Amino acid sequence: METGIRVLLLTAALLSLPGCAVRNWIHHRSEVRADRAAARQEAAEARQQEEDEDASPPRVIDPDVQRRRIVVPKIHSSNVELGLNYGALSVEDFGTNPVYGITAAYHVTEDFFFQGEYGRSTAGRTSFETLGGDIQLLTSPERRFTYYNLSLGYNFLPGEAFLGRGIAMPSAFYLLGGIGSTKFAGDDRFTVNFGAGYRVLPSDWIAVHITVQDRVFSSDLLGTSKLTNNIEARIGTTVFF
Amino acid sequence: MWLLALLAAPAVSLAREHLQVFVTEPYLELHTGPGRGYPVFTVVPRAQSVDVLFRRTDWFKVRTERGVEGWASQKDMQRAVLANGTAFTFDLGDRSGFTSHRWEVGMFAGDYGGATLISAYTSFSFNSQLAAELSLGQFLGKASNGTLGDLGLMHVIMPEWRLSPFLTIGTGFVHISPKATLVQPAERTDQTAYVGGGLRFYLTRRFFVRAEYRAHEVFTKRNANEQVDEWKLGFAFFF
Repeated sequence: METGIRVLLLTAALLSLPGCAVRNWIHHRSEVRADRAAARQEAAEARQQEEDEDASPPRVIDPDVQRRRIVVPKIHSSNVELGLNYGALSVEDFGTNPVYGITAAYHVTEDFFFQGEYGRSTAGRTSFETLGGDIQLLTSPERRFTYYNLSLGYNFLPGEAFLGRGIAMPSAFYLLGGIGSTKFAGDDRFTVNFGAGYRVLPSDWIAVHITVQDRVFSSDLLGTSKLTNNIEARIGTTVFF
Repeated sequence: MWLLALLAAPAVSLAREHLQVFVTEPYLELHTGPGRGYPVFTVVPRAQSVDVLFRRTDWFKVRTERGVEGWASQKDMQRAVLANGTAFTFDLGDRSGFTSHRWEVGMFAGDYGGATLISAYTSFSFNSQLAAELSLGQFLGKASNGTLGDLGLMHVIMPEWRLSPFLTIGTGFVHISPKATLVQPAERTDQTAYVGGGLRFYLTRRFFVRAEYRAHEVFTKRNANEQVDEWKLGFAFFF
């Protein structure tokens, strides 16, 4: 029994100790809060006082200037030229036939540009086949003439083309020279191309071209190996990007 | 439709707001076309502004305050200032551009294992020394024709030198089609790997010459691999 009372009393004492601590802590917190509130109020009063002091000599002119933030717009570079063309290609010994193609050019400087070309045509019949009746040198798929090349172009003789009184269009002649490959008669052949063209620009974005080029490759189709000259004349239109 | 879309594209880009620059020299000459050979047809006096519409090679198409449009050279535009008085700066395409640039495009003629090679490449530079490059080529030989493509890394050893050496390493493929007239195995496509090196020589403006050697290892399906030497020389430009 005695033990039970002791335990009870001890329990009560134990419980009361932290209770006191909590009370003290609550009291302490409220003191801290009060201090902080006082400090804030002091700071606010000090700020108010400073502002009052700043404002105290009234300004004669109140400047109303907003600093401009300049954003520099990007300048578009328009050096790429893409286009389509159509013309006539004379395949040596195989007659002259329509040719169509695409071109892509990059203008590096005002003088020089790189150009890639791809074109397609179908060769006709040689005079030997025409005269010989039923003789066929090539099958129909073998008569397909496709070429591509990579060229360097050089602009020269810049000028203006005038249309009536009011319209002047910048123009230039250019020289082209390059290397590529031609697929004809079932074989790919290393091809050298060179030529010249005339470009006129009705607007800044559109150009009209007239180009004449020779495509030279070695061929042994007709018995002996020889260099063949395949002259192409075409007209095309391109768009600058 | 496609052509219409092409025509519409430039119109959209024109609709953007343009950069305004001010003339600080006594006057700014405007040419009728983007080249020194095109005649000067008007001048913009000092302190007046022009709107920069777009750029083609080293020429800027500008519009004056009066609405007159013409072409101003890069050299003259370098002396113009922006509205806040700072200098108008832009990519010049000179020797410093050769040392440090983003893109390169070039074309080559050469020799691939005895066959004539036509090749083109483009590269993207991560910094002035390291670039990733993609090259495509076609070779035309007596016994066989074929195409090859390579993707690799290029390390420029001394980018600030006018004649600067470089090293390359990479992998790719080669497609070989033997000529019909000879008895040969059928067409085949094999994976390749290469190491190589070469020289770049800055010419002028945005141009340089590039000469290169690559040693290709062709991983064939036969017992032994093949080694092919590739030599090429060509023109390239950077932008």
